[in-house]
Amino acid sequence: MTSARPSAAVQPPADTRRTGRIRSETISTAAIFALAIILILASRFVSPALGSWDQVDTIITLASFLIVVAFGQGLVILVGGLDLSIASMITLGGVLATTWNGSFGPEWVLIPAVLLICACIGALNAVGVIWLAIPPFIMTMASGIIVASAALGYTSGTPRGASPDAFLALMKGSVGPISAVLIFVVIFVLLAWALQSATAFGRRLYAVGANREAARIAGVATWRPIMAAYAISAACAGFAGMMLVGYANGATLRMGDSYLLPSIASVVIGGSSILGGRGSFAATVGGAILLTTLGTVISALGMDQGWRTVIEGAIIVGALLLLREDLIARLRNRSAR
Amino acid sequence: MSANADAAAASAPGSNLSLAFRRGLTDGAGVVAILYVILFTLYALWDRSALTVSGVTNLSNNAAPLAIAAAGESLVVISKGFDLSVAGVVSLSNVLMASYPVEGPGGALVSLLICLGVGGAIGVVNGVLVAILRLQSIAATLGTMIMGQGLALVIMDAPGGTVADWVSYTLTDVLFGVMPISGLIVLAVVGLWLLFRHTDACTGLFAVGADETAASLSGISVVSARFTAFVGAGLLYGLAGFMLSVQTATGNPTAGTPFLMLTFAAVALGGVSLTGGRGSLVGAIIGAATLMLLQKVLFSGGVSSFYTGIFQGVVMVLAIVFGSLVSRLAATGARA
Amino acid sequence: MSGAVSALDVRSVSKSYGATVALQDVSIELQPGEVHALLGENGAGKSTLVKILSGVVKPDVGAMRMGGEPYGPHSIVDARRRGVATAFQELSLVPNLTVAQNLSLPRQPKGSLGLVSGAATQKHGAAVLERFGLRLSPNAMVAGLTLAERQRLEITRAFACDPRVLILDEPTAALAETDWLFRLVRQATAAGAAVLYISHRLHEVRELCQRATVLRNGRSIGTVGLEDATDHTIFEMMVGRSQAEEMQHRTAAAQSTRPAVLQAQGLAGDSFKNISFTLREGEILGVAGLEGQGQRALFRALVGLAPLASGSVKVDGALVRLSGPDVALKTGRGIAFLPEERKTEGIFPALATASNIVLPVIGRVGRAGFVSERLEREAAAESSSQVDLNSRYLDFRIGDLSGGNQQKALLARAMQTGAKILLLYDPTRGVDVGTKQSIYAAIRSFAESGGSVLLYSSELPELVHLADRCLVVYGGRIFAEMPGGDINERTLVAALTGHSMQETAA
Repeated sequence: MTSARPSAAVQPPADTRRTGRIRSETISTAAIFALAIILILASRFVSPALGSWDQVDTIITLASFLIVVAFGQGLVILVGGLDLSIASMITLGGVLATTWNGSFGPEWVLIPAVLLICACIGALNAVGVIWLAIPPFIMTMASGIIVASAALGYTSGTPRGASPDAFLALMKGSVGPISAVLIFVVIFVLLAWALQSATAFGRRLYAVGANREAARIAGVATWRPIMAAYAISAACAGFAGMMLVGYANGATLRMGDSYLLPSIASVVIGGSSILGGRGSFAATVGGAILLTTLGTVISALGMDQGWRTVIEGAIIVGALLLLREDLIARLRNRSAR
Repeated sequence: MSANADAAAASAPGSNLSLAFRRGLTDGAGVVAILYVILFTLYALWDRSALTVSGVTNLSNNAAPLAIAAAGESLVVISKGFDLSVAGVVSLSNVLMASYPVEGPGGALVSLLICLGVGGAIGVVNGVLVAILRLQSIAATLGTMIMGQGLALVIMDAPGGTVADWVSYTLTDVLFGVMPISGLIVLAVVGLWLLFRHTDACTGLFAVGADETAASLSGISVVSARFTAFVGAGLLYGLAGFMLSVQTATGNPTAGTPFLMLTFAAVALGGVSLTGGRGSLVGAIIGAATLMLLQKVLFSGGVSSFYTGIFQGVVMVLAIVFGSLVSRLAATGARA
Repeated sequence: MSGAVSALDVRSVSKSYGATVALQDVSIELQPGEVHALLGENGAGKSTLVKILSGVVKPDVGAMRMGGEPYGPHSIVDARRRGVATAFQELSLVPNLTVAQNLSLPRQPKGSLGLVSGAATQKHGAAVLERFGLRLSPNAMVAGLTLAERQRLEITRAFACDPRVLILDEPTAALAETDWLFRLVRQATAAGAAVLYISHRLHEVRELCQRATVLRNGRSIGTVGLEDATDHTIFEMMVGRSQAEEMQHRTAAAQSTRPAVLQAQGLAGDSFKNISFTLREGEILGVAGLEGQGQRALFRALVGLAPLASGSVKVDGALVRLSGPDVALKTGRGIAFLPEERKTEGIFPALATASNIVLPVIGRVGRAGFVSERLEREAAAESSSQVDLNSRYLDFRIGDLSGGNQQKALLARAMQTGAKILLLYDPTRGVDVGTKQSIYAAIRSFAESGGSVLLYSSELPELVHLADRCLVVYGGRIFAEMPGGDINERTLVAALTGHSMQETAA
C-alpha cells in the first residue's frame, strides 16, 4: 500500500557529491578514543604517577575483560537483541574452569569444553528468542538466573579450585617488556573487528539487525546469524570469566555482575544503535577503555566511587545525544559538499 | 458482502460479557492471578501461619515494593518503552531515607515527598530524553539509572544508616488489626490506576503503545503520552523506594539493583506485552506478588537456593510462552 | 461556479524531505458541494498533499485558504476544528481500542466525575454507527475487524465530524461495493461540503466526481472536467505525453516453443484463488491489477513469504515447495524477488550500496569468508552496469541515494544472485523517468539473454512497453490473459476495472 513516498522530481544533491561518505563509525570511534586519550593525559596534571606507560598497561589489563565481553554483547545487540545472561556466563566460565581443573583432563581439552558449554547455552537463548518468540530481555534474563542458580548449587556456595595455568600465564605473564594481556587484547581486537566488519558472516549480522524482513527477502537464513551471535556472546563471557579467574587465581560467584551494565554501556557509548544494524567494534573498544580509564582515574584521585558511576551515566546520555543518526548525517552532508 | 453482514456476531446478546471475560484473559492478569492462587494454596498447605494476619502482613510487606515498582514500569511498557531507571530511583530513595530520617507522621510525609520528588525528577529527565529528544528508551534510561545509582553511592557509600522508627514500625503494621498497611498502599495504587484508566491520557498511553502513527493521526499527542508514562512511572518508583526503606529499615546504596530484573519479570509475568499496547497495572502487581511468593514457597518448602533461581527462571519463561499462547487464542476467538 | 468562494484553495504549495522533493508548486481548488478527484500514479505526491491538508505536516512554501479565510492547521485536531476531516489510506484506527473509542478519539465523552465514561462512549459510538448505517458493535476491538469493516469505520469517522472539506484517500480499496459510500458522499455534498476524492479506480471517479486534478512527480499537471476528458487524456497527464508516445509495443518472437520455467497450477492463498499460468524462458509475463486485487499475496507466495493454501508450483518442470526466499534462490534455475517497498523491505540503509547488492551471494565474494568493500565493489560491478547504476555510487551508503538509484541497486541485487527467474513487484514505483528507462532496458536485456520475468506494474504503459503477455488480476483471480498483440492501454484499463474485452471493443 502506498504511503507518503516522495518522488524524485528533482535530482537530489546527495547523489552528486564528489567525495565518498564519511562513516558515522569513524566519527564515533575517533571521538571515543580521543576522549580516552585526553582523559589519560589530563590525569597526568593531577598526579605524575597517572598517565604513565605502566598506568596505560594497567588500564588495558583491567579493560581486557570488558573488551572481550563487550564484543559478544555487541554482536547480539547488532542483530537486534540483548544479552542479559553474560554476568552468569562469566561466572559459569570461571567456576567450571576452576572446579574441573585437574579432574576433567588436560587444559587444552578443558578450556574448549567450557567454551562449548557456554556457546550451547547461548544457542538455547537464541532458540527461545527466534522460535518461541520470547523477548530477548526476558529470555536472557531468565537463562542468566537459571545459570547463576545452577552455579550456586553446583559449588554449594563456595567455588573451589585454582585457575588453569594457561590463564595464569595470560593474565600475569609477559613477553619481554610487554605484558601478555596486551598482546592478547591487540590480537583479539583485530580478529573480533575482522569477524564483525570484514567477513560474510559479519555482513549478514548487519543485514539481519538492520531489517530482518529485508534480510529474509534477500535470501539470508536469518536464524543462523542470530544463533551464532548469541552463542559467541555466551562463549566470550565464559572466556572472560576464565580470564578473571586467572587474574585473581580463583572464582567467586558474583564475579560477573559488575560487567553486565558496562558491556551494554560500552556498546552504546561506542555509537552502536541499541536497535541493531549499526555500529563498529572499534568504537566499542574505545567505549570500554574509556569506562575503565574513568574508573581508574577516579579511584586514583581518591574520589567517591559514586561519582564514577554518575559520570558513567552522564557519558552514556551524552553519547546518545551526540551520536544521533540525524546529527551525524548533517555533519556528513556539510563536510561532503 | 454488504454493510449489513458486517460483524453480526459481535452484536449478539451476551457478547459484552464474554468480550469482557476474554479481554480479562487477554490482558494477561487472569493467567497470573490463577498462578498466584495455586502458589498461595501450596504455601498455606506447607505453612499454616500463612493464613494468619501476621503471615499475610509479612507477605504484603515483602511484595509491596516490587509490586509498586512493577506498576510504574508497566506504564512505560504499555506505551512501548523500557524504563531501566527503576533501580536508580529505588536506591536513591532508600539512601535518602536512611541518611536523613525524619521522625513522626509528619516526618513520614516529608520523606515520602522527597522520594516522590526524586522519582518524579528522574521521570521528567527520562521524559525529555525519550519523548522529546526521541532517544531509544532502553539506552536513555540505562544512562539515567546509572546516574541515579551513582548519586546514591555518593550519598552513602556503604550499607548503613537507619530509617525513622515511626515509618518502619507503623507502615509495616496492620490497620484495625486485620489489614496490612502496605497492602492498603498497594490497593491505593490500584485505585489510582482504576481512576486513571478512565482518562484520555490513559487511552493515549495504550494507543501510542499499539500504533504510534495511527494514534498521532487520531489526534493523540505522542509526546504527551510518553512523557506522562515516564513521570508517572518515576513517581511510583519513588513510592516503591519508600516502601522498601520502610521494610528494610536500613539504607543500602545498591538496594535498587535486584529491582532491575525483577521488575521486568513481574511485568512480563503479569501479562503486560513487552511490545506495548496491552496489559494492566493489576497484572504487573500480581506478577510481582507471585514472584515474591514463589521465593517464599521455595524457601519454606526447604528447597535449596540451587533450585530457587532455576524455578524462577523456568516459571518466567513458561508463563510468558503460555500467556502469549492464551492471548493469541483468545484474540482469534474474538474474531469469530 | 465562478464567483463563489472556494471551499478550499491551495496555492503553490511545496514540500521537501531533506534532499527529496515531494511536492513542487502544487495548486488545487475545491468548490462547495463539489466532489473533486485527485489523480496520480504511486509516488506522485498525493499522500503528501493529503498530509498537508489534514494538518499532519506543514508545507515549506505556499498558502491555503478555506472559505476565504487563511488556513494553516497545526495539527489534525486543529484541522478538524476548522472543518477538515480525512479518511486516510493507511487507516488511522488504533487497533487495541474499541470501535466506539476510536470514534471519539482523542477526547472521549466524560461522565459525572470528569472521568471518561464507558457508557457515554458506547452510546455516542452507537449513535454514530446508527446514523451512518454501520452494523458494528461499538464495543468490538478494531483489531478484530475485517479490513473492509475497518475501512468503513475510518470513513465513518471522517464523515461524523460534519466537515466542510472531506478528504477520502483510496476509500474503496478494501470495499467490495461502493453504494454505501457514494450515498454518504452525495448527502454531504448536497449539504454544501466539498470532497477531495483520491482513487485509482477511474470508473468510480467518473461516477462520483465532477473535476479531477492530476499530479505527476510532485507537480500539479492540470485540472480537467471529467465529462469532457477521455481516459487516454487522463493517463497521458498521469504518465507523461512523451513517454506514452515514445514507448513502442514490444514485438515478441514466438514464445510457445521455449521451455516452461515456472508453472503455477490452481494456486490459492490469502487473497487469491485458482491462479494458473506458465512462464517461459526469455519471456516477460506482465501482471496488471489495481491495488489490493491479490497480486501482492501471489508474488509473495511464489517466493515463500506468504502461505499457499493449495495448488502446485513447478520450476523447470519439477514440483517444488518454496518455503522461503533463500530456498527459492536455490531452486532450479533460481527465483529472485524484488519486493514492493524498498524502504521497509529492500535496502539496508546503513550499509554501502555494493554490500546491499552482493548480500545474497556474500558467501561467494572474497576468500575464506573474508570480504572487503573493495571485493564487494568488484563483485557488484557487472550487475550495477547492467542496471546502469553509476559505479561511483557503490561506495555510498545506500540510504543516501535517491529512490531511483536505490531501486536500480535492488534490481542489481536480484540479478547478482544469478537467478534466471525474476519476480518484480512494481519495480519502477516512485522512480523518475530517466531511471525508469534504465530499468526497462535492464529487464529487456535480461529476458533477451534467456531470463524470465514475472512483472507486476501499476503503470499500464510500462506493461504495454515490456510485456510479451499480460495477466489481469481482479478480485483475486486471473480475470483475463492477453497475448502480446492485444495489450494496449484501453483494453487493460477496461480489464482492470472488471469489464471484459468484448465490452470495450464494441
